Amino acid sequence: MDIVQEFIEKAQSRPARIVYPEAHDPRILEAAVRVQELDIAKPILVGDIAAIKSLAAEIGIELAGIETIDSRQDARLASYTSAYANKRDMREAIASKLVRKPLSFGGMMVAQGDADGMVAGVATATSIVIQTATLTVGFQQGLSTPSSFFIMIVPRFQKEQDKVFIFADSAVNIQPTAQQLAEIAIASGSNARALLGIEPKIAFLSFSTKGSAAHADADKVLEALEIARGIRPEFHMDGELQLDAAIIPSVAAKKVTESSVAGAANVLIFPDLDAGNIGYKLVQYMAGAKAIGPILQGFAKPVNDMSRGASVDDLVAVSAITSVQAKG
Amino acid sequence: MSTLDRIKSVCVELLKVEAGRVQDSSRFVEDLGADSMQSIELVAAFEEEFDIEMDEDAALGVKTVADAVTFIDRVIAEG
Repeated sequence: MDIVQEFIEKAQSRPARIVYPEAHDPRILEAAVRVQELDIAKPILVGDIAAIKSLAAEIGIELAGIETIDSRQDARLASYTSAYANKRDMREAIASKLVRKPLSFGGMMVAQGDADGMVAGVATATSIVIQTATLTVGFQQGLSTPSSFFIMIVPRFQKEQDKVFIFADSAVNIQPTAQQLAEIAIASGSNARALLGIEPKIAFLSFSTKGSAAHADADKVLEALEIARGIRPEFHMDGELQLDAAIIPSVAAKKVTESSVAGAANVLIFPDLDAGNIGYKLVQYMAGAKAIGPILQGFAKPVNDMSRGASVDDLVAVSAITSVQAKG
Repeated sequence: MSTLDRIKSVCVELLKVEAGRVQDSSRFVEDLGADSMQSIELVAAFEEEFDIEMDEDAALGVKTVADAVTFIDRVIAEG
């Protein structure tokens, strides 16, 4: 079955409450209606209510039964403002200016448990979505780095069909430190379990395998592995590994001894964004893999960023993923 | 107080820097230590100080105190 369809069916079994803070965009309204009809999630729209109604009428859709909130007038504005001001040690007057913005309000809904996840970005820069999520939702325990991953479905790999990998980070952190790389790996491994139901075998990739080349970049990867093992010792992780040693059993057998990961890795942690971004596109375009993402990770609760060119189908798929991330 | 003085006092309050460090040419990130998250809060703090609403994308493109004066004066003038 198509993996997006799997996410949709999984989401339908436990639909989450998803807040959409860009309800002035017609794609959001169309996606909210689809999400509601398919029972993927309970959509919550944030924006100017009159403008939302007018837009819905203009594009000929019915928003019946979909919760619509004006963040500037909502009864929760005062409590969200107070919570934000306390957390960030600032005057409530300033916090109020921030929290009344739909994106921040949506983040506070998630933070305060009034929504399970947020989908944004069709009309907002990725950096603003990530920064707002960091300020409002915060990070999972033990993490302090927002990052992203792609689900890569490779049509034919080592006699397997539709082999699923996670690639990270291919979209957010340009030059991650060892600590950040470790956190990217931990978050990716957690998502492999939560989202895909697979047991992660995490490879920290490099141009070197187990000391075959001496360089500070390989040392950083090794340091990241040690940090990650300290955070989540129960995860199967290994490094530093070249790509072939990570995923091809015959190469791993020659280059690596005693590893539960080498030759069997399904979560690939790239050393920097050059490698991660180029890597996923190589596999997407040269091997015909399906790339789903980038999906954000590291936050205490799911927040996903859409590209400005996202379609309604993209929004529905990411809503299903967000719902599964939120509810498992 | 002038726009410049009000901007400087917002920087002192939000970024917790000494007043003497905030010069016209100061860059919010490099000189005053605003991280990317504080940049979003700085926009909100300016909106509160001047009772205005700013386009967030455009406002986050403003890099220095002097440029902020120009930007905010224009927002106020446009009403």
